[in-house]
Parts: sequence; C-alpha cells; structure tokens
Amino acid sequence: MNTITVDTWLYGELARFGGNPEERIFANRKVSLPEGSRLQDLLNILGMRTEERGITFINGQLSAMPGLQPDLDHPLHDGDRVAFFHLRSMWPFQYRHGVTMIQEMQKAIIETDQMGLHHAYSKDQPKE
Amino acid sequence: MYLVRVNMTNRTYQVTEVPEKYKYLAGRALTSNIVADEVPPLAHPLGPNNKLIFSPGFVTGTSAPTAARISVGGKSPLTGGIKEANAGTSWGADLAVMQIRGLIIEGQPEEKDKFWGLHITWDGKPKVEFFDATAYTKQPLSKVYPPIYEKFGERVSVCSVGAAAEYGYCNSGVCFNDQSKRPSRYAGRGGLGAVMASKGVKFIVLDRQGAPGVEIADKALFEEGRKKMIDALRTHAITKPKGGLNSYGTAILINIMNEAGGLPTKNFSSGRFEEAPKIAGEAIFETNKVRKGKEIFNHACSPGCIIQCSNTVYAEDGSEITSCLEYESAWSLGANCGISNLDDLAMLNHLCNEYGLDTIETGTTLAVAMEAGVIPFGDSKAAINLVHEMGKGTPLGRILGSGTETTGRVYGITRVPTVKGQSIPAYEPRAVKGIGITYATSTMGADHTAGYTIAPEILGVMGKVDPLSPEGKAALSRAFQATTAFIDSSGHCLFIAFAILDIASGYQGMIEEINGVLGTNWTADDVVKFGAEVLKVERKFNEAAGITKAADRLPEFMKQEPLPPHNTVFDVPDEALDAVYAEL
Ligand code: SF4
Repeated sequence: MNTITVDTWLYGELARFGGNPEERIFANRKVSLPEGSRLQDLLNILGMRTEERGITFINGQLSAMPGLQPDLDHPLHDGDRVAFFHLRSMWPFQYRHGVTMIQEMQKAIIETDQMGLHHAYSKDQPKE
Repeated sequence: MYLVRVNMTNRTYQVTEVPEKYKYLAGRALTSNIVADEVPPLAHPLGPNNKLIFSPGFVTGTSAPTAARISVGGKSPLTGGIKEANAGTSWGADLAVMQIRGLIIEGQPEEKDKFWGLHITWDGKPKVEFFDATAYTKQPLSKVYPPIYEKFGERVSVCSVGAAAEYGYCNSGVCFNDQSKRPSRYAGRGGLGAVMASKGVKFIVLDRQGAPGVEIADKALFEEGRKKMIDALRTHAITKPKGGLNSYGTAILINIMNEAGGLPTKNFSSGRFEEAPKIAGEAIFETNKVRKGKEIFNHACSPGCIIQCSNTVYAEDGSEITSCLEYESAWSLGANCGISNLDDLAMLNHLCNEYGLDTIETGTTLAVAMEAGVIPFGDSKAAINLVHEMGKGTPLGRILGSGTETTGRVYGITRVPTVKGQSIPAYEPRAVKGIGITYATSTMGADHTAGYTIAPEILGVMGKVDPLSPEGKAALSRAFQATTAFIDSSGHCLFIAFAILDIASGYQGMIEEINGVLGTNWTADDVVKFGAEVLKVERKFNEAAGITKAADRLPEFMKQEPLPPHNTVFDVPDEALDAVYAEL
C-alpha cells in the first residue's frame, strides 16, 4: 500500500509526542501513514489522546479549538502540514476573525451559538 | 476628584475640581475629550499648543483586580491625529489614589536644553513641585531610575521619557515603573514620549503618602462586582494562575500566528517564519527553566493583577536580559526582522526600554531598513547597532527614530506597513481579515488593541448580518472598537477580555464595579454607547486635523501582493471599511 508523509508540528507540552519524551518547546516529526489516513489515525500513531490537544491547524487552516474537534475524520494527503497546540495556548477571537478554516470547522463554528467568539467549547472549560 | 493643570511655560500649576462635563469620564474617554476640547487640531504635535494628558481609569487605584491602567493622550507626532496609549503601572494607581482624575501638561519652556521633573505629593490636595532634571538626560533609563528612587524614596512611582523622546522621535513612548522599579512599562505607541519631552518634562514622580484613595459611591455594589471579576479571572484557562498567560505570556501567540500563516515575516513578505518556535512563549518558558533551574511563572506589571502575564528573559548565566518581552515585541524585533536568536531579541527589547522607543514601531522600522539593504535580514548584531544609533541620535538613528513610514520614504521602499503613519502590528491582515478592518479604521492608526472582543452581547448589536461577510466584519469591528474604548476608560487591563467574554458574570462584574465607584446605573447597552461616543470625539478631531476616511485604508501592497503561505490579498471592499464609521 502507498504511504503518505505528514509534516507534523507539536508545540509546548505536546512536543513530547515528537520522539523525545523530555522535549517541551516544540517538535517537528515527519509521520508516515497509509494512504487514505485521517487525522484520527495521525493521533493514534503519535500516541496522543485527542483531548490533550487544543487549537489545531491543517495546512495553516484552523481545524479545531479546545473542545470543538470536527477534524477527526479529515482526510490527510502527502505533504500536509499539521500543527497541534496544547491546552494552555490561546487565540483571541479578534486575532482569528476571518482566517481560513477547513470546511468542517467553518460549519462547526457557525453551528455554535455565538459564532465561535469563545475561547473554548468543552464542558470543563468555563463558559456559562 | 481633581484636575491638575501644569503649565510648563512658566512652571506653575492649578488644582481644580473635575468639572461637571468630565465627571463621568476617565482613562481614554477623558484624555480624548480634553484633547478634543483644548488642543487645536492643526497644532504642531511638538509645539506649545499640544497638550499631554494623563488619566487613570474609573476603577484604577481601587481593589478591583487587574486595574492599574493609566491612559496618556495628546496629538500624535507619528499619526498627526488624536492618540491614547496606556500602560499598567503603580503610577496609574497612585495618581488615582491622589484623586487626580486628569493631569494636563501644557505650554512649553523657552529654554530648549533644560529638562524638569515634577514631584507630586499630597498636602490636603495634590501639590506639584519642580526640580531640575537636565543632568538625567541622554542616559539609558535604567541608569536614571535608581537615583530618582534614592532622591524621593522607595515608595514613589516614576514616569519618564528616554533619549528617544529628548531627540523628538515620532517613535518614542512614555515610560512607567513596574513592580520591581524597572523602567519598562510603556504607553508606547504614537510618539507621546516626544510630546512630553517637548514640554521640557523628563520625570513625573508621584508620592501617594497620606492621600485619601478613590471615593466609592456604593461600596456594596462595587464589592459584588469585584468578586465576580476575580472569580472570572481565577477560573478561566487563559487568565488563571499558572494558566496560559501566567505561564507563557503573550508570546504564546507566536507559534499560533505562525501556523495560521499570519505572522508577518521579513517586512511583511511572508506569513510564516520557519524559525518562529525559537522565539515563542514556549521557548522562553523552557529556556528560563533550564537557565534558572526551575519553572519561572510570570509576574504582575502593576499592583492587584491576578493574571500576571509579564515575563522575564534570562541569559545563559542566569542574569536578567529584559522584562517584559511581549508577543508584539518578539514578533516585530524577531520574526519581522528575520531574527531568531532569543538572547539578541531580548537585548533589542531591552535597548528599546533603555532609550524609550516603542518596540513595535522600532521592529517594523528596522525591517524596512533591512529591506532597503541598510543591514541584512536576520542580522541581530547589526540590528542592535542600529538601535544604539537611535539611542545616540546619529543622523541615521534620527531617520529610524522617525518611524517606519519616514524610513520607507527616505529609502524609497514601497512595502511600508503603516496606516495613518503608524505601523501595523503582529497580525497579518491578509491572513486575518477581521483585524485588517480595525487596523484600517481605528482612530489611532494601525493598532492591535483597538478592537478586542469583550462580550457576546455585541452580536446583538449586529442584528442579522453574517459575521463572515464583509458587512458583518465591519459591523463587528465597529462594536469591538466601541467596547474596547470603554475598557480603555475603565482602568482594567484589556486582558480581562479573555475571561469576561467567556464568563458572563465577569462582564456583569465589570459594569457593577464601575457603577459602584460612580454611583451610576449603567447597563451592558451603555457600554457600547459610551464607547461609541469616545470614538466619535476622536474621529471628529482627526477629521479636523485633516485625517479623513480616505486614510481608512491598508497600504496598497496588501491588496496586490499575495501573502504566502495562503497566497491571499486583503480583499475587504472599501465600502465595508467606510461602513465602520458611517454607521457609528
Ligand atoms: S494582565 Fe499582564 S499586562 Fe495586564 S495588568 Fe496583568 S501583568 Fe499587566
């Protein structure tokens, strides 16, 4: 079966999934996957639970926010760049208003009650 | 509450009660209204008719958390329009505790080479004394703060300007002490430092001893509001102790903006800097851990801050290089100049603090100079030398000190990232379209703090427009700018916005705190109205100063040059930009 290579970037405490368990700044790992793999498959290979990640990008397009992860089934292609951020990271709305997102994310954001204004969407994040 | 008016033509002062018309104004709302009422719009910013106004916010000096903000206002030598810049510092709290709602510096001494210090104490009411400060000029600020503390005592707060301001640079800030007496908290943008120096003022020293404190009309309501605000700040993932800001500082945004393709790199020629992770908040935190042998969490810039986002960068030997290295500074002096050596980047930041330069404008200016071939991109040592040239006032240094736009003009560069003469900060409008609208239309020139998202209520003001359409983005920008003008008047640091946006009771708490102090009955609707009034006053001043809606545009190259990696241009139509203020 053909394989694809995904250029994977891991930041902060997630850098430990990049090969060196001591690393905490960042890690860049080229991950080989069978053709047809999805984001969930990449997480499996990294050994990272999806709850551990927050803001996520696929080719510079926003694909997930803390607690809002419509990207698990997103198909990956050879040469894709995927970046995972830890849960202490942040991206205030005014600095991401109008950025490109993967289609699934765009749809998910519109479906949230307040147009994606918030920082986090999971139940353990404060949001009344 | 008092207005203190200091006339530097003859070194006299007047203390009056705050007039009725200004009673419910503070912070940015007050500085902008006084500028509009008293400064002729066509006055030269460094001439005798400009004024420099300081005002603490409504809750500054009280026990409200994260609320020691001081607004500084005047006509800007950089933009030629109205300016408000603010900083977090004990100085702001002390001014409020001395019941000074507004400090106005006006006039101009005849002797050009003489500088003065103001020593303000409490003697039943505010009292101003003048001292000769000429001996403290043309020196790095870290050399002159210690003798000032020695002269006036450890408890004072100190406001000052650096050499950049003494030379009259458009890129000079007004400096305040932090909690460790470092000269490091800046009302940085727009060249207000040069306005202060043009009045012959080098220092404003505050001694709050004996001062009565801020009067609170309804203590119970204030307490209720304060508790809600504290709860919100203590629980939110970004603002809580050991949360995002306390661990990694604002530089946490470097990697995010880089991955988004919105981190302006090498003078806005790309949205991605391959070496960005080396200068990000995560790198600063981990490097400090290795160098100090333990985890170092960030500190408060000013009294009463719960968030505590200010970092320190330590050298290999454990000594301090600089505090604080903000995201926008790490970006401007780092990624935007192609510089990834963290120690040199920290040194550049330190030198800006030493000479009294705005870090954002300095970085964008250096990048334009790099594009012009003055020094190569990425050459951090040469960049350090250029900042020294600014500090020494050499002819090249003076050109650079005049800011990004002037430097671009001197070297014939077309890719000059400015709006209304002020350089565009760390968020690329071709990648982040929403912020581009705020950069284009803000009364301040390009300003990343002009449009914070404060409360979901603003979606109500928008009615039915789609927030992703150009009209929707314009409507949101208008609402963001108005609510931000309110926070800039409240005395709170803008970073409370992260928590109160997500936790509705925090937002309510902010309004209750202010109602408690003033005895008013303001509601969430009044927040937007209040802010909109401030914007109208500022806008009117700018129009009279010759800055019309034709200036509400991003630089031409952003509409024409596609920005890698997304290869997009700024395509928000002009009509949408015009709609921001047309419908205010
Ligand atoms: S959040 Fe940061 S900038 Fe704001 S008052 Fe606290 S330490 Fe200062």
